[in-house]
Amino acid sequence: MSDVAFSIWLPLFALFYVAVALYWARVAVTQGTGEDGFFSAGHAIAPWISALVIAGVSLSGWFVLGGSRQIAENGFQMPALLVAGVAVALPGVLFFKRLWFVAERLRVSSQADIFRVYYRSPFLVLVSTVVALLFAIGFAGLQMRAVAEAVSLLTDGAVSQLAASVVLGFILFAGVGIGGMRAIAYFGVIQTVLSFAAIVALAGFALIWSGGFGELNRGLQQLASAPEAASYFLVNGVIHFTSGLGRGGEVGGANTAVANLSLAFAFMGFQASPLALKLVLSTRSPNGIAAGQTWVTAGFFGALIAFAIALVGVAGLIDKNLGLDALLMRLQLQSPWFAAWIFIGVIAAVQLLAGLALFVAAEGIVRHVYKPYFNSRLSKRDAVTLTRIAVAVLAVAAMVMQNLTPVTLSALAAIALPIAFQLWTPLLGITWLGWITRPAAITGVGFGVAGVLLTEPLGYEILSFFGLELPWGRWPWTIHSAAWGMAANIAAVLIISAITNRTALSTEAVEIRKLFAGVLAPGKKSHALRPTAWSVVIAWFFLAAGPGLIFGNSAFVSGEGENATWLLGMPSIWAWSLAAWVSGVGMVWFLAYKMEMASSVHVEIPAYEPPRRLPTDKSQIERERLRALIVTGAAGFMLAVFVAFSFGG
Amino acid sequence: MSKPAAVERDLLVFSIWAVFGFGGLAFVLEGFSRDAYLVSLAGIGAIVAGFISHIIVNAVFDASFKAGESALGIGVFGVLALVFIIGWASGDLSQDDYWSGLTLFAVLGFGLPLYLSTRYGLRGAFSRFHLKPADSGNADE
Repeated sequence: MSDVAFSIWLPLFALFYVAVALYWARVAVTQGTGEDGFFSAGHAIAPWISALVIAGVSLSGWFVLGGSRQIAENGFQMPALLVAGVAVALPGVLFFKRLWFVAERLRVSSQADIFRVYYRSPFLVLVSTVVALLFAIGFAGLQMRAVAEAVSLLTDGAVSQLAASVVLGFILFAGVGIGGMRAIAYFGVIQTVLSFAAIVALAGFALIWSGGFGELNRGLQQLASAPEAASYFLVNGVIHFTSGLGRGGEVGGANTAVANLSLAFAFMGFQASPLALKLVLSTRSPNGIAAGQTWVTAGFFGALIAFAIALVGVAGLIDKNLGLDALLMRLQLQSPWFAAWIFIGVIAAVQLLAGLALFVAAEGIVRHVYKPYFNSRLSKRDAVTLTRIAVAVLAVAAMVMQNLTPVTLSALAAIALPIAFQLWTPLLGITWLGWITRPAAITGVGFGVAGVLLTEPLGYEILSFFGLELPWGRWPWTIHSAAWGMAANIAAVLIISAITNRTALSTEAVEIRKLFAGVLAPGKKSHALRPTAWSVVIAWFFLAAGPGLIFGNSAFVSGEGENATWLLGMPSIWAWSLAAWVSGVGMVWFLAYKMEMASSVHVEIPAYEPPRRLPTDKSQIERERLRALIVTGAAGFMLAVFVAFSFGG
Repeated sequence: MSKPAAVERDLLVFSIWAVFGFGGLAFVLEGFSRDAYLVSLAGIGAIVAGFISHIIVNAVFDASFKAGESALGIGVFGVLALVFIIGWASGDLSQDDYWSGLTLFAVLGFGLPLYLSTRYGLRGAFSRFHLKPADSGNADE
């Protein structure tokens, strides 16, 4: 077949992809019911669409790109990756149903809105917006960069990385900017399905080219018999008291059980982020949450990670010529039609996340920060226009950073999940733990964010710039920043909740407490099962992602040293993780259905009518606020320059 | 069918063909490229699975193929047939390619009347093509 015939498939499939994206953007626009539909799809997204897209956005893109590479480079040292389907699904089980009812009662449509109304906290609104920005610019940006690199690789440099990222950014803007939330949800279904198919097909090729499952495991066994590679199949102890990466801690020794546990915590940040909640709160009914979280996210996508993505990674571990990039390149040379189809699936997965993140970040800046605090007279129509402009600006900013500042991009990407995880405490305060007071939630998040920043490169690079060198590096004691942040967060929440007035609730918060004590109160059966639920969850975390992983090192091995044999024909820790995934799906099912945390409820929730207040003209105070912000920003900038000039470099 | 239901149906149809259609096409091309009849057969199987899934979705939403879908399907069938005939005429087809193509067109060719007869009955299926004089009355005027 000619070169032209080989090179035509990727552009051809990409053309179809763009055409379908624009078609659904058009459908979204024609379905719109005024400006409301742009931001929340008129709260009319079908539960099955929401369940599928949440699973797709939660797992597919970053696990294909990051998860398979992690296994290809480090083997099974971080088995928490393999049970990520369960870890990612848990926050959804815990929060989605109750937050949907909160939003329904208060008639709001985003996490920042809920924080503003329930806690009346501009700080939490700002953190929620910043988290969305981190996902849009850093987390998704890093993946977009990886995809643009792959485009350049697959086209043999005919399309440069810059050109690829510009085109991908334009497609994103076209879909999200034109169609809004509805387009994200509609096209998200197709993107999710495409990405699922791509992952399965990619794993199929990895398996075929490795010679089949048996041959793959023989290769692994051979690798494990080499002393220098034996660590690929072991979790490296429970904890190492090192000063962290970059301060004496070695990457190879950092993969401890506690590192796994804290990584699982970081995964649990995604569904506490404003991105996932935007989808949930745009859904017309909460009755698909249990099925979505249990069977789609934990079950189906969990299986994809535990089997398919693991297979792709394992193929790369045994043979570097079967790493993700090499695999795609080989496909492009031998089967360009499959390469195009699979690669479009990977692009779809990354673009799904990037599109949602851009949209939520732009909405946050315009609707949750600019409008309420600086321009309350902004009409809905103008808010939509401004949001579209913000989407474009953010897409350009992300594209520029992808090409010019990859290190900063990487540093920003690294803190997105752990900072999102810090939002657990205010969300728990709203949904389950009513004793968490407003000051405690706010301070807890502040401490949590500080804890994350101080244990991640971004934080200590900033401090280093100002002349302050921290004595520790990244992830001290082999504990991920998500857990460091949460330790500070929980400590602050417990202390401050104990010393502040727990009955000082806003009127809206009182309404929500009544709602949870009324129609959403747990039934007697689930109340009786509480101790069991606690035991199951703790046991699962201990064995599947925590210190119990040490048992997994040798649970399915007989003999020692060179005589060691794998009882199940596969590495013990992989088999352990598969068992953990199966039991994890059971746990999610138990919590979602038996504990009624995400089960269906068929009640009508009337809108909350706030007490009427006289409208006041806020334009003067808003102008002053804007002036104060500019002056503070300028003063802060000058102070930062002065400090850096004096002490830093 | 309500507008949201129509959108949901269309989403499912797009998703089905994104997987089965393009995946099936990739398998068929792979089969042609490697002269492997079984690989082509897997692709044909995927395309048939796409049709069956499409019909199931139609049944769930109590709908039929849209005019645009039928036109696209017939158009793609025509293009594929043309490419196959040109390939056959120019003598570029191997024995496996030849049988793969024949299998594809036989399956699609028999599939259409089979679908119509199961959906509308034998007489009804014929009526889908047969225009009564009264139907074309206005056109004569």
